[in-house]
This record gives sequence, structure tokens and C-alpha cells, in this order.
Amino acid sequence: MIMMTHPVQKITVAAIRRRLPSVTGANPVLNLQFLCTSSILFITLVIRTSIFHFSGFCSLRLESPPVLPKLGFWDSRSDKRIGLGVGVVSPVRSKGFWSVMAMERLQMACVNEKVDNVGDLGKDGSELVENSTNGHVTVSGRTVSQLATIGNSTNIMWHGCPVDKVERQKLLKQKGCVIWITGLSGSGKSSVACALSQSLHCRGKLSYILDGDNVRHGLNRDLSFKAEDRAENIRRVGEVAKLFADAGLICIASLISPYRRDRDACRALLPEGSFIEVFMDVPLQVCEARDPKGLYKLARAGKIEGFTGIHDPYEPPLNCEIVLEHSEEVCASPRDMAEKVIHYLEENGYLQA
Amino acid sequence: MSTVGNSTNIFWQECPVGRAERQKLLNQKGCVLWITGLSGSGKSTLACTVGRELHSKGKLSYILDGDNLRHGLNRDLGFKAEDRTENIRRVGEVAKLFADAGLICIASLISPYRKDRDACRAMLPDANFIEVFMNMPLQLCEERDAKGLYKLARAGKIKGFTGIDDPYEPPLNCEIEIQQKDGVCPSPSDMAGEVVTYLGEKGFLQYS
Repeated sequence: MIMMTHPVQKITVAAIRRRLPSVTGANPVLNLQFLCTSSILFITLVIRTSIFHFSGFCSLRLESPPVLPKLGFWDSRSDKRIGLGVGVVSPVRSKGFWSVMAMERLQMACVNEKVDNVGDLGKDGSELVENSTNGHVTVSGRTVSQLATIGNSTNIMWHGCPVDKVERQKLLKQKGCVIWITGLSGSGKSSVACALSQSLHCRGKLSYILDGDNVRHGLNRDLSFKAEDRAENIRRVGEVAKLFADAGLICIASLISPYRRDRDACRALLPEGSFIEVFMDVPLQVCEARDPKGLYKLARAGKIEGFTGIHDPYEPPLNCEIVLEHSEEVCASPRDMAEKVIHYLEENGYLQA
Repeated sequence: MSTVGNSTNIFWQECPVGRAERQKLLNQKGCVLWITGLSGSGKSTLACTVGRELHSKGKLSYILDGDNLRHGLNRDLGFKAEDRTENIRRVGEVAKLFADAGLICIASLISPYRKDRDACRAMLPDANFIEVFMNMPLQLCEERDAKGLYKLARAGKIKGFTGIDDPYEPPLNCEIEIQQKDGVCPSPSDMAGEVVTYLGEKGFLQYS
């Protein structure tokens, strides 16, 4: 006999009965249909038992590995597909006292062939649990058949998946987040990003840098520096950074990102606490004196228009997590500044699962 | 300093921690698994199963699902031909970033046009683009109709639906082709096994 290897929660049939007053009588056929942690897989367990009372516990074993015959719910009694999703039939035997071992995120129970949505029974069988998949919060109880229209994309459905953020973070021994470094051109964003990445790597942590210029070589090559394109540039970087954070990485975004509204929009994409805004607080004249790419010179000569700090505004953050200040007296190296960020990450638990 | 597309005066920023260092840390090689096929052919199911298999081997992967991305990065795009092209271009660029980060990036999209898939292949050098074709007959996909879309398309409620009134151009030279054997679909775990075996044989599951 083969034990189910998926992550499980104990759910008592008593709890199911509370949710489904229609369950009565002896010798019921109990089909439990599950939505996996974040998957479209529905698993139907057929349990035939002669126990009259459903208030005890016993252990269930799967008799054979789950089979995925074809897409759809599988009604084992009528032996036909009845709905959407992927059906799995797993015959089980009960013995002694038993508890129903179930996948996380129990969605539906089909008892005596009546299918009802019981929501997620959670740890104690009573609360709905929210799940975060690909950075999106999904409230369990959502059914596979639900199509949506998002923006211009019609008839799309959210696909859940079994390996979620928590599991990836365990593998990496860190927590995914976005470190958003903002500041004028020449303020040292890329230098700090590199130093931070190196420091994290030395600690065995996986990070990835989304540098504004680099992304404009690829994903954002179709965008210019007009206001609306800057907004779209930042939106796309924000969305990609969110994906990296969901993948479990410490994603370091390094862009001028001059408009407060655009940065705040990126913050709103991520769960609370996962967006760490780092402001390179360096005066314009210091940045211009550095002029590492010769851009201020071109801007002053009128060869570049709309250059941030010269013709275009920079709106400093009002409430960022970290400020890296320039000081005339103490010349902090990019490495020193990176350590300040590392300290914040450590304090806030990002450098462990 | 260069001009790329519409982006003027940009510089490429180098960094000491590169792809090789990340791959060493993860003990794997980054690549893109591009799963293509009709709606209902099983792309998302395969992607999930491969992801699970890889995770059980301690390998880091991430799924870029066409529908999921249309909830976020690509929410501004529709299903007109040019939007499909842009959708695929963006997914390709993001997949490239994930591969550069050292992950096994699993892209799962219908991606019906050969030219668009080939453009993504061209973005990734060093044979790190692995095209997986879910070669399932239209009839089977329609029978499954996992999202009820074929029904809507047949009723004329969706226009330009791939397989019904929009073409699907199968790959001519993909790395892995999944198809029925004697009219029977392989199970997701068998299909995933084939993909993971391929990755192992080509050296993606270790850093060497």
C-alpha cells in the first residue's frame, strides 16, 4: 500500500459533515475533491467504509498511485467525467480509527454524490486560507472553471501549481523580495546593486539585478524616455521583479524611476514588506561632478532632452525603507552601503527561509 | 553608450556575480523550456509536473504561464496577431532573464506562430532554448475543453481562437515532442519524466 506523498492536512469527516448537512446515513461513499495548493489538479478519493459513525479517526492508505485518466472531474460511481480540471481516482481502504488525509486547500466534497463547495478547511477545519501563487493572492474556494478578463486579455484563467513560493524559499534558504534602488543618474545605484549582489552571493544567497539600462536592451527595447514610456518601463520592471521575488530570489531593481507614483505602483504589486525601497540620497551637483556616463554634459549642452535632474524632475521617496546618504566627511564605499542593506535584510528575516 | 530600439544613451552594466557564479550556487544550468501547443493540449499540466519533479531533485525552476502573465506583465495585451507576437516576445525576454539568473524557466504558452517562437530561440544562445511540442490532436483538446473555450469559439463567442479560426503552426525542429502512443495520452508523470531525462542528459541538472 502506498502512502500519499503530497503535503497533507488532517481533516475530520465531522468537519465536513458540519459543512454539508446533507451527509446522512451509514455506508456513504465519500468522494473528496481537492484543489492542490496552487494547482488545477483535483484528486478524488473513493472511500468505501462500513463505519456507521463519522466522528472517529483512522488512517487511510492509497492502494495504488493516483491515476490521471483524462481531464475533468471523475465521478467514480457513474464512471464518467463531470466537470473541469484533472481527475484522479485513488481507491483507498480504511482501517481502524481514521482521519481523512487530504491535500492542502480542500475545495469540494462530494458525499453521496452531492457535490458542494466547502472552501478550505484550513488547519482546524474552520477557516478559509489565502494562498499566494506567482505573487497573486488567491482565496481558496475559487473553482477551476472561473474564467476572467484582465486588462485586454479575455477568457484567461489563473493556473495554480504545486511548487509554490514557500517551497522555493525553503530550497534557497532565503525569502524572495524586491530591493528597489532609486536615485539620480550617477548617484551610485548600479554600484550598490553590484556590491549588494556580491555580498549576498558570498553568503550563499541568490539574487538577480534588473538594471534599468540592461532591461532597456531587451524587454524594454521598444520604450523611449517620454513620460508614458518611463511609466511603462517601470511597470514592466516591477512586474518582472515581482516574478523573481515569487521565484524566491532577492531581486535588485536599479533604475532612476523618478516618479513617486510609478514606484508606489510597483510597491502595490508586492505583498506587504517585500518591496524594499532604497533611496540614493546624493545631491545633483555631486552626481553631475561624477557624470560617469557623460550624460550630464550632453544634457547641459542640449544634446539630450528630458534628462532627469536637468530638465525632468526627480521626486524623492517620502517613506522608503533605507536611505543611503552621501556624506562629504565620511566617504562610504558601495560595499559599506551594501552592508547597510544586508543588515536590513538580516533583521527582517530575508536571509533565511 | 548605445541606442537600442527606442532607448537612447544606454550603457550595459557589468557585474562580478554573473551567470556562472549563480549556476555554481544552484548546481544547475539555466535554460528555457518552451512548451507550445493547442489550448487544452496539457501544457500547464506538464509545466507543473516538471516543476514538481525538478523541485524534488533540488533544482530551482519557475513557470511562466501564458495566462498567468496576462494577469500581470502582459495585461495590456489582447489576442490580435501583433499582441500575440508582443506577448511572446516579452515572455521570451523574461525567460531569458530567468535563465541568466540560473533557473530552469518553464514557459507554457500556446505560442502558435513559428516565427515568434524562433525569435525567442534566437534570444538564447548556447542551446539553452528547449522547445517542447505538445502534439495532441485538436479533437482531443476540444473534447477536454479544459476551460470551456472551444465551446465558446464554436458558438462564435470568441473570435480568432487558435485551432478553430486561427492557425497553429507546429514546430519543424523541436527538441522534445510529446504525442499519443497508440491513441493513448502519456500520463503527466511520464511526460515530465521524458523532459527531465532530457535535461539530465544535456547537463542542465548539474554545474560542471
